[in-house]
Amino acid sequence: MRIDWNWLRSAVLGVVLAVTAIAGAGAVEKLDGKLYLVIAGRQPVSTLDPAQKYDYAIRMMEQALYDGLVKYEGNPPEVKPWLAESWEVSDDGLVWTFHLVDNAKFHNGDPVNAEAVRYSFVRTLELNKGPAWMLQDFLAPEGIEAVDDRTVRFTLKKPYAPFLSFLPWWFIVNPAIVEANSVDGDRAQTWLNENAAGSGPFKLAKFEQGKAYWLEVNKDYWKGFPYEADNFGGIIYKLVRESAGQRAALIKGEADIVGGLTPEEMEKIAEREGIHTTTLPALTAFGLKFNTQNEHMSDINVRKAIAHAFDYDGLVKIFNGEAKLQTSPFGDAIKGKIDVAGIPRRDLQMAKDYLAKSAWPDGGFDVEYVYVQGFEEERQMGLLLIDALKDLNIDVKMTPLTWPNMVGRAAEVDTAPDIIAIFATPVSTDPDAVAIQYHPTSFGKYYGSHFLEDEELKGMIEKARNETDWSKRQPIYAEIQERIVELQPEIFGMMRNRRFAFRDWVKGFQDSPIRMTEEIDLYPLHIAK
Amino acid sequence: MTDVTFSERHESSIREYRRMAATFRRSSSAMFGLVIVLVFLLMALIGPWIAPFPEDALGAVHLDNKLQPPSAAHWFGTDEVGLDIFSRVLIGARVSLQIGLIVTGVAMLIGVPLGMLAGMSGGWMRETIMRVTDIFLSIPGLILAIAIVGALGPGIINAMIALSLVWWPGYVRLVEAKTLSLRNETYVDAARALGAPMHRILFVHILPNCLSPIVVKASMDMGMAILGAASLGFLGLGAQPPYPEWGAMISIGRNYMPDWWWYSFFPGLAIYLTVLGFNLLGDGLRDVLDPRQRS
Amino acid sequence: MLKLIYRRLLMMVVMLLGLLAIMFVVANVAPGDPARLAAGPDATRDMVETIRVERGLDKPLPQRFVIYLGSVVTGDLGTSIHTGRAVLHDLAIYFPATLELVLFSIGLAIVLGIPLGVIAAVNHNQLADHIIRIFAVSGVAMPMFWLGLMLQWYLALELNWFPLGGQLDLMSDPPTRITGMLTVDALLTGNFAIFLGAVAHLFLPALSLSFPALASIIRVNRAEMLETLNRDYITNARAQGIGPLRIVAAYALKNALLPTLAMIGLRFGWMLGGTVLVEGVFDWPGVGLYAAKAAISSDFEPIMAVTLVLGASFMLANLLIDLTYAALDPRVRAQV
Repeated sequence: MRIDWNWLRSAVLGVVLAVTAIAGAGAVEKLDGKLYLVIAGRQPVSTLDPAQKYDYAIRMMEQALYDGLVKYEGNPPEVKPWLAESWEVSDDGLVWTFHLVDNAKFHNGDPVNAEAVRYSFVRTLELNKGPAWMLQDFLAPEGIEAVDDRTVRFTLKKPYAPFLSFLPWWFIVNPAIVEANSVDGDRAQTWLNENAAGSGPFKLAKFEQGKAYWLEVNKDYWKGFPYEADNFGGIIYKLVRESAGQRAALIKGEADIVGGLTPEEMEKIAEREGIHTTTLPALTAFGLKFNTQNEHMSDINVRKAIAHAFDYDGLVKIFNGEAKLQTSPFGDAIKGKIDVAGIPRRDLQMAKDYLAKSAWPDGGFDVEYVYVQGFEEERQMGLLLIDALKDLNIDVKMTPLTWPNMVGRAAEVDTAPDIIAIFATPVSTDPDAVAIQYHPTSFGKYYGSHFLEDEELKGMIEKARNETDWSKRQPIYAEIQERIVELQPEIFGMMRNRRFAFRDWVKGFQDSPIRMTEEIDLYPLHIAK
Repeated sequence: MTDVTFSERHESSIREYRRMAATFRRSSSAMFGLVIVLVFLLMALIGPWIAPFPEDALGAVHLDNKLQPPSAAHWFGTDEVGLDIFSRVLIGARVSLQIGLIVTGVAMLIGVPLGMLAGMSGGWMRETIMRVTDIFLSIPGLILAIAIVGALGPGIINAMIALSLVWWPGYVRLVEAKTLSLRNETYVDAARALGAPMHRILFVHILPNCLSPIVVKASMDMGMAILGAASLGFLGLGAQPPYPEWGAMISIGRNYMPDWWWYSFFPGLAIYLTVLGFNLLGDGLRDVLDPRQRS
Repeated sequence: MLKLIYRRLLMMVVMLLGLLAIMFVVANVAPGDPARLAAGPDATRDMVETIRVERGLDKPLPQRFVIYLGSVVTGDLGTSIHTGRAVLHDLAIYFPATLELVLFSIGLAIVLGIPLGVIAAVNHNQLADHIIRIFAVSGVAMPMFWLGLMLQWYLALELNWFPLGGQLDLMSDPPTRITGMLTVDALLTGNFAIFLGAVAHLFLPALSLSFPALASIIRVNRAEMLETLNRDYITNARAQGIGPLRIVAAYALKNALLPTLAMIGLRFGWMLGGTVLVEGVFDWPGVGLYAAKAAISSDFEPIMAVTLVLGASFMLANLLIDLTYAALDPRVRAQV
């Protein structure tokens, strides 16, 4: 007996067709006739509050929703006037006076005045979170003064040459809105997690945590836009969890810009029609930090041995050549960077000689390597490490952790792992922004998991940061770099290029090495079609 | 009396085994399962010796050779650091076998004695054991395993602990039911009447009669435990790199879909075939050993 | 009957308590400092200690358990570290999505499983039968996450038939939230285009998730159908020239209903567990994905809450299936 089951086949086919008919879109996203640009990224925006935390996703959104007194742009990165149209500094380097533009307005129409600037700085300093560390040693809330409506004066506790270079990360909030949404004196910390009170080029249209964040072009932006595109509606930052998903979304047209693809993916995707890729050297340095207080790692000879056994060529190969080895603890774009002679490269004989001088001349111990769960390149570096240290008879145990857990491990000297993979983007090109990472004040921060104790180094760092004359600072920083290399608190790694891939209708993309890993400056971005 | 040969003395048993073997052989799917399982065991036993690049299983790096498609030298292609995927899949069989054996073994070691105890003792003891068992069975096993690993922290050892913890209750249920049905059989009653100690009753009279369903379940569970471990590995909660665990390989390989499809395709195929093999074998064994249980 | 339901529900509460107790003990032997985690990356030691006291993490275990139970009863399931929001709020968002996915999978398993089982039986020992049988034994053995990856790659990326993942196209405005299940809400608000969009997004994850249940349903229906087809009255009906379709519809399907239901009951736990695997592959914003993320970041409070919620839904589903079974089958009803 046979059943004619054609009816079934056509029914199934019918359902599939009906379903797929509406699924196969794949062009620029449109809403109410306006074009929207979609960025697919992996990191959620955990808060929009400029005073609480920062990472690349947070900063990307804040730079779009808020304005700072000044802003970083270009390559090499330069501090450009923004809310402040000009400023001057007193001869002793203590008093900084900023003059605000006269037309800046918050999204609700309130003027951005000196009081708003004072309020925002005080709020960040007093909450003592996020960017507060950058200035807290030099600036007290009492030192900020709204002289008149358009003039703000900062009086520092002691001179600090890089003061200006940190200001781009201090965004100005609207005091009226913050006060109105403050609950139990929290200064609107909860409210600002998912709402904005800024004056930036974009307004927050929708905040869907864990899914997508919608920005709408601020038509009345006080500074205007560097392009003309009336049909451009805004930007959507959409979360996609893995780089494979980002790549697929770009190919399918569900996303217009993606960052952080693996080097292999970048090569493959560049071959596709209608997709462009860019790379740009970054300020971000990568290092494998040792915990210098650990059982094995406290031995300088073990650290030197590992650093000389590591496969540096492999490191560059992981990035298919899109990376440059560090020749100093300082990245190339840092002011006063020198090439330190004798920075370790793979030399197995030297590695063995160092190990022979240590308490474990024949190896025979384990070290733990901690890296970010799901971070392909860091995982591959772990494999590289395993392979390299086999020659020293040292075993490597790989432990992937989520970023918050990893930061948690790094926080205490007892739990900080032997080796931890850290990408650190300095917030300024001033050498102090890097040098301070090797000072005890950084202990317990993720980039300070080395817990490196060295009086000489500490003294030099403090001396250099309190000095304002560059000609005097410069030689100290040269010495600092040499001293750090000598102490070997980490395997000095590389600076990998920033990588983005985008659809060819995306215009205005401007990258800058100062931006964090996948951070994009949204202000000039638009679509032309 | 001593003249009786081995085959005469065990004539009935031998006949019984022959009948079973014949039943098993007639089922093509059971034979297919057996073949897969044998191949799998062989891979696990001699994998490290027949793998073309055995050193690739535990963290070598050949970056010049990365992401090569399948070829004569690399049957399954190479991965993102140039390791031979065929070798890793082959040696991964050993990892999977270990996981399967340990999880099933621990589950049996906990579950079988508890089940017999519950079945024989009755009263509050039985209540306690069975209620705790019920609690464990009140939530899907994979969810509980993930929750436990989430609490303990990721890693192959913790994954095995978690899987063992969610696996034993099944054996308690099975063995308890069987024991209950056996405890009133005449020969058990007789043994009890003769004053045989509890452990003797349990191990001489009850356990051998529970063996058939246990073997069937264990065969199925080997496959399921391997699948469970692979699932945890896929979520990043199980084996960590560079351990050649199949699920963990897929977890990384998915980043390379679709252009480098071989990376996640072959480990997945290995999981699928292995689990299929154990399931078919279990099905076949059930038909032979425990025909009434067939659903 | 009502008494039975009461007893089962009471039992459920006891079991859930037990479940929480077990999880609490397991979590306590784990290393790691929840206070440090909750405090976040930049927290100083003082801030960590403040949070420890704030959340009662400094108290002994039994006391913490009682405190925890107290807050659970009042609906406070704690705060998730990785989303930074109240766990209850998270679950309210994610749970309907998971429920929708699971229900759709069950539907898919039935809609595909019964016809396939029938086709296999009708073409007994022919090619179609063999293919369907291989398919059926594969269902349980197939790693769902791997199947999902392959389907996604081929059907979504290569053929472009389906979206890659997510619940709805980015630019489609979700319908007014009524049940939280997009397809249902779209229908309730009469938005048919959104409904189709939601179904398109549901299809691949639901298919991957339905595989084990689908396989079992095929097997059961095939066996049932084979048996029915060999009965006398079918032979008679056939002799009387009644068409095959009517025979299948009139006799076999009716018989297949109960075993199908039983199979769904048996595989429901698998599907619930499978959401953890499948949702990740398809970026489906459900409890499974939430659980996987929580587990990987050792985020304790969401883990507990997910265990609680999924455990409860598993028990409720079993109860529901038992009741349906009783309603459908007089023999079972008599036992109840």
